[in-house]
Amino acid sequence: MNKKCLGTLLIIATLALAACDDNKDKNYSGMGTENGGLPTGDNVDLNSGIPPTRPDGINPDKDVNYSTLAADTVYFAFDSSTIPGAERAKLGAVADWLKANQGRSLFLAGHADKRGTPEYNRALGERRALAVREYLAGLGVPAASLYTNSYGSDRPAVQGDTEEAYAKNRRVEIGVIIKP
Amino acid sequence: MTALKLFNPLLRSILLAVLFGSITVGAQAQVNVDVPTNIRVGISLSGSGSSAATEVLSADLKRTGMISPVGAGSGDYIASGEATDSGVTGKLVKKTGEEVFSQTFSGKPRAAVHQFADAITKAVTGLPGFASSKLAFISDATGAKELYLGDIDGYGAHAITHDGVISASPSLSHDGSKLTYTSYKSGYPDIYLIDLSSGSRNRIAFFPGINSGPAFSPDGSQIAMTLSKDGNPEVYVMPASGGSPTRLTRTRGAETSPSWSPTGDRLVYSSDDRGSPQLFISSSTDVSEMDHLVTGNSYCTKPDWSPDGKLICFTTRTGGQFQIGVFDVASRTAHLITTSGGQDPAWAADSRHLVYSNNGHLYLLDVVSHQSLPIDTAVGGAGEPTVSR
Repeated sequence: MNKKCLGTLLIIATLALAACDDNKDKNYSGMGTENGGLPTGDNVDLNSGIPPTRPDGINPDKDVNYSTLAADTVYFAFDSSTIPGAERAKLGAVADWLKANQGRSLFLAGHADKRGTPEYNRALGERRALAVREYLAGLGVPAASLYTNSYGSDRPAVQGDTEEAYAKNRRVEIGVIIKP
Repeated sequence: MTALKLFNPLLRSILLAVLFGSITVGAQAQVNVDVPTNIRVGISLSGSGSSAATEVLSADLKRTGMISPVGAGSGDYIASGEATDSGVTGKLVKKTGEEVFSQTFSGKPRAAVHQFADAITKAVTGLPGFASSKLAFISDATGAKELYLGDIDGYGAHAITHDGVISASPSLSHDGSKLTYTSYKSGYPDIYLIDLSSGSRNRIAFFPGINSGPAFSPDGSQIAMTLSKDGNPEVYVMPASGGSPTRLTRTRGAETSPSWSPTGDRLVYSSDDRGSPQLFISSSTDVSEMDHLVTGNSYCTKPDWSPDGKLICFTTRTGGQFQIGVFDVASRTAHLITTSGGQDPAWAADSRHLVYSNNGHLYLLDVVSHQSLPIDTAVGGAGEPTVSR
């Protein structure tokens, strides 16, 4: 191709990219829509995981069934959001379940034990939920069918101040979103 | 013979004192010899509300840790005046008779007395008083975590939310007019802003992921917060009136609990990017170098920057228990100031006292004397205190 065509193509490409840049100025104000707009490729940070989303019209406290996949609750080490090797088989089972139940969506709820301060625990629960989401996406589960939330240390599975109780609370529960 | 002389009793006790003294100095707070202690203020109030006012005024002055309220006849200073339903007309004179100030404090009796106490504190110690400050906190006394508001002496604490959902991480604006906090009212952790005079509440940050740990800037125009909307919990700053947040951190770790420098140009926060949560300082306007504050502790969260900019308090965890630590910004050194447990500290206006929680109770801690006094809010299960300045 000649230089003129290449030049034109470059201009068109630059303009297209500039149009994408508009999304950077997009107002994510609280006055906006529920999801505040989806970030474009420009906003994806190599240090971050897949940006979280919230399912439309779903009440996290009423429309999520945590019993179906209760056996696949993922447990974490103290102060850690790394999925332990021994827990990964559970997520394989979750991915298999989704393949067998096409069209279902999951709500991944992250939790922490009470030995952290409340705010740090909330972020730790979030990191755990996002880690599970990322891992499932890596197994081929569409990220769009995976939602997350964190409850910090506010919803323990087991009350008490023993190591056993703490271990049971450092978790991500795999909730199944009830079909509308 | 000379060697034996070295071990004579006098020299030995001097050597021991030097050794022992240097060890204890290392373990204690730096005591600033310029900080006033035990200034005696005589109280002489008249009027229909004088008896209650005297009680409140004495308690306020004593709580500063620097003033001893005494009887009307004695004192380095005399605080006099009239206390009625409409307020306090107050005067402070030195024992020489020289007047320091004469002022009318209008309003509800208790509030007026608190203002009088603060004016006295400022005049005799040079430090701001904190008697007029508001205290907000979270309590699960009703079974759900609700938001409570009262006075810093514990008086009048009452629930200001009744949502039956998780409320968390409240932050009062420095002038006490507004409060921002996290609530799961929508089912997700979102940030709300409450105007305390009108009672109106608006949701200001509800991005996907978590919206938590909001903190007002010193002038109240901005709120720093943790958002995970871009894939990871990071620190952002947003106008308090709503609008696009500006991202300030980019790490693989979780950044939480931002707190503003008094000049508003920097934020201190906790990040676990290096493994366990540590304290860092960054710019409040752009992504910048993260300045790691070395405290000597492997777990540091929930920092709060003192109003005078000199100290940063934080929560640390050692031996399975939370304790309060203080980091000196100029010398870049830190030490623990509690031994019986404590977490989530928040500075009071004088940069000398802070409020913290331990096992569901709130306490006022004097970082110079290390003395903790319980704050009786009559509300159990209390935590995450925030104090106006």
